Amino acid sequence: MTPVLEMHGIRKAFPGVVALDGVDLTLHRGEVHMLLGENGAGKSTLMKILSGAYRKDQGRIVVDGKDVEIQSPRDALALGIRVIYQELNLIPHLSVAENIFLGAAPTHRFGVIDWRRLSAATSQLLTDLGMNLSPDTPLGQLSLAQRQMVEIAKALKGQASILVMDEPTSALTSREVDQLFALIARLTERGVAIVYITHRLDEVYRIGQRVSVLRDGRRVTTQPLSDVTVAELVRLMANREVGDHFPKQRTTPGKELLRVEGLGRRGALSDISFCLRAGEVVGIAGLLGAGRSELARVIAGADRSDSGTIQCDGQATNFRTPADAIRRGIGLLPEDRKAEGLVAGLTVARNTALPHGRRLARSGFLPRGCEERLAEPIVKDLRVKATPTQEVRLLSGGNQQKVVLGKWLAGDAHIFIFDEPTRGVDVGAKIEIYNLMNRLTASGAGIIMISSELPELLGMSDRILVMCRGRIRAEFSAADATQERVLSAALGLAS
Amino acid sequence: MRARRFGTVIGLGVLCAVLWALTPHFLTVSNLLNVAQQTSINAIVAVGMTFVIVSGGIDLSVGSIVALSGVVLGALLQGGQPLAVALAAALAVGLGCGLLNGALVSVGGLPPFIATLGMMSVARGAALVFTEGRPVSGFDEGFRSLATGAIGFVPAPVVVMIGVYMAAHVVLTRTTFGRYVYAIGGNEEATRLSGVAVRFHKTAIYGVSGVMSAIAAIVLTARLNSAQPIAGTMYELDAIAATVIGGTSLMGGEGTLAGTLVGALIMGVLRNGLNLLGVSSFLQQIVIGGVIVGAVLVDTVLKRHRV
Repeated sequence: MTPVLEMHGIRKAFPGVVALDGVDLTLHRGEVHMLLGENGAGKSTLMKILSGAYRKDQGRIVVDGKDVEIQSPRDALALGIRVIYQELNLIPHLSVAENIFLGAAPTHRFGVIDWRRLSAATSQLLTDLGMNLSPDTPLGQLSLAQRQMVEIAKALKGQASILVMDEPTSALTSREVDQLFALIARLTERGVAIVYITHRLDEVYRIGQRVSVLRDGRRVTTQPLSDVTVAELVRLMANREVGDHFPKQRTTPGKELLRVEGLGRRGALSDISFCLRAGEVVGIAGLLGAGRSELARVIAGADRSDSGTIQCDGQATNFRTPADAIRRGIGLLPEDRKAEGLVAGLTVARNTALPHGRRLARSGFLPRGCEERLAEPIVKDLRVKATPTQEVRLLSGGNQQKVVLGKWLAGDAHIFIFDEPTRGVDVGAKIEIYNLMNRLTASGAGIIMISSELPELLGMSDRILVMCRGRIRAEFSAADATQERVLSAALGLAS
Repeated sequence: MRARRFGTVIGLGVLCAVLWALTPHFLTVSNLLNVAQQTSINAIVAVGMTFVIVSGGIDLSVGSIVALSGVVLGALLQGGQPLAVALAAALAVGLGCGLLNGALVSVGGLPPFIATLGMMSVARGAALVFTEGRPVSGFDEGFRSLATGAIGFVPAPVVVMIGVYMAAHVVLTRTTFGRYVYAIGGNEEATRLSGVAVRFHKTAIYGVSGVMSAIAAIVLTARLNSAQPIAGTMYELDAIAATVIGGTSLMGGEGTLAGTLVGALIMGVLRNGLNLLGVSSFLQQIVIGGVIVGAVLVDTVLKRHRV
């Protein structure tokens, strides 16, 4: 049987980087093909070439045995290629049906929408896909997983033969993940070929048949998953043996750095109390919407609290702005680094120097090269794959995260808030981040770590606080914490 | 970035070459100085516009602030106030209007379009009320030398323009304030979370724009020997055009003053050339509109291929 897609010798270069250097990929009807690789390995670039977002420099693309030129997203759509990105492109005020058929709704004469046919067509499509959704529900009332289903339904209307999913489960609960995987199984039965990009290795074996690993713009391997172990995959991606996933080094807790008492913010947080000592990692667990990021933002001065107090180094504080918190030595690595962590159009050095303008400047003027001199050792130390004069938008996700870290390392921060520090970051970079956390605690800093990955939280924390609906439900020492106990507290069950 | 700036410079060169071929009067020293002088006012206003647009905003009130600063200046000079006092008052009026714009945007949370649209009407109205709609004309030689004087063969307005560009370029590229202008335009929330006082700096950015309008008003009033409450009409559009032709993105976060200066020169040379060629002022509007759209279109296409 001819493969539904063959990509041969795909090459793509950007100024200063060869993103793809002769990559091949073959896709069969009805298979789930896992695409793995570190950040910056070339996965996204390859998929953007397939979807018409980028144009390849060299190589051939064959769809259903015919050579094709994909010049634009339109060409890709016409060939039955669909991509579901991490960020959903839906309109909350419109109904499920309107979203699915946006711009393609059945009409009467003169372009008036035929609501009856629209509703019928949507029901038909949703039933076909085994989705239990009503066409008339406003999208805004749906959960994230349901919205993702709508996005998939939208992608699959018309003739879709290839579906690319980029980390579809990163924001889903485990039950929602089950629903998604059931849907994927139904799609493959209908002959749809799926390219699935993920950093979660457990998912790879649950749904995948074959796997391709990219590294530094080249394909390292393609093989059936039955022939390859997790350890081998990790080694192929990182090209270095990963012994211990969590290289945690414990330090004896020192003096108290941060004390939070009865902190509250209407609709988000109530009665939060805890403390953080020097040398300690305090993990914060909880489901989406439990108030973890809200807590991080209040401590970092990004949002105001309604009640309660925050003490830094034994002194009462009142953060009105992020600048107040930074002055007290607090550094936030926000959950969404593109939206809150970095200015994409500025260089690595200028991003690094952004919080330190006042210190670097001589009566308002920045001495020539002062930002580069500040960033240079940090870029080297964190092994950011970039020069200080490169624009941040050209960096991969893992390297961008390092730049956000570098912003605070360039100052005198000693209370760090890591909000999902390893989300969308590859295995190798994850370990670098863990080692860095060790270095920080060894030097007397304290870390608050928010993470949705329980193994990471259990592996790296000295203590774990579990949040549920804006409150702290439970606290565990590293020795007492198990995935089951943390999870049941996060779900609000009695432990 | 470099390729794009080069593109506008080439555009200016081609434009000059065409005009040189079509009319012998274009490439004379006196005409070129004339172009520079006519360009200077729009170019100065466009400096403030560049600060505002790079920071992700827009300032529609610049023309009205030119008028209001101008009539305050004129009235004080005619009232016998010392030159320094009148100039300071004109600058203060510009600064005040700009800061008010900035506060409405950054503290009040209004979209820049709305805040400055309001100021556009209020400042224009204030200028008309203040003068009862009549121009204030006739000033002494000392003040007028700001327009009629020259250093060597360079006319005073051009000297002012060059001075303003050099100072503003240093501010935009070499100071923390300049960095924050780009950072705020690129990602306001990330900039705030980095501890930058975003509200303060945004307010100051509109203040800069107000001051530039006031400087333009001083040069304009000296040149015309008259301060008119209806001066500066449509200046906002010329300044936006110069900025955008110069490669500054309306989305904010990028742009240079060198680009804006070239953009302003393109507009000035085009007007001058069309006049020399005897093209009617009605037809000129069509040509200028076409050039603005064409320049930005070329820029957009180039950018798309850059990815």
